[in-house]
Amino acid sequence: MNVRLETFGLTTVVIPAGRLDFSSANGFEKQLELVFAGAGTAPAAVIIDCAALEYVSSAGLRVFLLAARSSQRAGVYFALCALQPAVGEVFNLSGFNRIITVHADRATALSQVPQGRA
Amino acid sequence: MSTLAGTLQPTRPATGPVQRLVALLLVGPGPYARAFENLILGLILLSVASIGVGAIPTLPGWATAALRVEEVIVVVVFSFEYLLRIVAAKRKFAFIVSFEGLVDLLSIAPAFLLGLDTRWLRALRMLRLLRLLKLQTHILETTVTERTRELAEKNALLEQAQAQIKAELEVARALQIAILPATFPLRTGCDSAARMLPATTMGGDFYDFIELPHGQVGLVMADVSGKGVPAAFFMAVARTSLRGVAAEHLTPGACLAEANGLLCAQNPLDLFVTVFYCMLNPLTGVLRYANGGHNPPYLRRADGSIEALTGAGGLVLGAMPGVEFPEHEVRLGIGDHLVLYTDGVTEAFNAAYEAYGEERLIAEIQAHGDGPAAGLVERICHSVTAFAGAAPQSDDITLIVLSWNYTAAVLQ
Repeated sequence: MNVRLETFGLTTVVIPAGRLDFSSANGFEKQLELVFAGAGTAPAAVIIDCAALEYVSSAGLRVFLLAARSSQRAGVYFALCALQPAVGEVFNLSGFNRIITVHADRATALSQVPQGRA
Repeated sequence: MSTLAGTLQPTRPATGPVQRLVALLLVGPGPYARAFENLILGLILLSVASIGVGAIPTLPGWATAALRVEEVIVVVVFSFEYLLRIVAAKRKFAFIVSFEGLVDLLSIAPAFLLGLDTRWLRALRMLRLLRLLKLQTHILETTVTERTRELAEKNALLEQAQAQIKAELEVARALQIAILPATFPLRTGCDSAARMLPATTMGGDFYDFIELPHGQVGLVMADVSGKGVPAAFFMAVARTSLRGVAAEHLTPGACLAEANGLLCAQNPLDLFVTVFYCMLNPLTGVLRYANGGHNPPYLRRADGSIEALTGAGGLVLGAMPGVEFPEHEVRLGIGDHLVLYTDGVTEAFNAAYEAYGEERLIAEIQAHGDGPAAGLVERICHSVTAFAGAAPQSDDITLIVLSWNYTAAVLQ
């Protein structure tokens, strides 16, 4: 799995591509930890753009859960966007869509970042 | 380096007397090999020193004679060692023309070529200084042998430790599988079969049959996130929690809510578990269920139609305290088959990273769901493993098939 980062003001957009399964979950977890820690200043919002994310296993879901917890602790706005149908189904089935905000696309996600944070 | 080490390897098991000698004196390890090595080193130093002494023009006659005896001993021992090395070498010609082979040869050759003809001896005497080079190759060789032995010892220790960890993990895995119930409670009159194909790494699937008050039976199908020892521990905690609350709560939703509370309170590694929990009344065929983020089971009706138990589910257990789990009810008819499974079935991947998927599973249930439960379990397992082929199985594959038979339940 490849992960790219883009920054819009104080918002960091994380763009994972490929399969988030047991073998890639650990690396992705570490990368997200770094994102939340920030380089110098911590981000005000973190959005994970899942447009290129093909598959999420339960080990992958756990990483999202940990990220949601980190964001809560740090007071950082956290959301996912642009889930592929198969990944959306996993979120729906596991009930994760009820504890993690999911937006249809990146533009919506960016527009939903609370005022004064972006 | 490799040729140096290579010359020390025995070509075959030490059978003949010469091979035994090689093994004893050259290859070692042992007191004889060490003594021989020290003898050679001592002779090299002695012979180099004697070259210096021999250059003194006013040497008394007895000293010259002693030097000659010394020279004969040195040449004899070096020749013996040279021959042994040729015998020991895997590729003999390669050894003879190698650097150390040539040094060995040059350190004895002058004596053989010239005998003790003093006319040439003086001119070629300096060739014997090449024995200093022999000293160098010897020290190098000793170092290489020692390092090789140290490495081999460390490797053996590592392998031993790894084998022990592997053996312990296998025991843990066997225990994990052994605590799964082998059979459905017989007195219910249900025909049921369960099967778990464990993944190569320790996974976290489990299922359970729980006998409840009033003749009801609880069925659990669950999948812990992640793998390895943490998942195995969490699985054990989850299974115990569910068993505990199942006996005390009358509805599946309340069971999952209570178990979720327990799991959230003892979850240091932030794992979670998907759980489908249902309670069957064997007398009426009524099945009440609640779903904590698990794949909805399939219900194949006796007429061949298939429906998924997709009633709205709740969150996975262990992720967040205080969530609720909606309950649903469905009535089983005679000859209906309920198929519970984990995502190891639908997400079994083949070498081309294609998933087995729900369509294939539904097709199997449709085609073979009118016989005994065990037959359908076997069919699905076979279909999944055939699909995955040689691709490694990364997740546990777990299945329960349950078919309800009213008459049998009443007769029991």
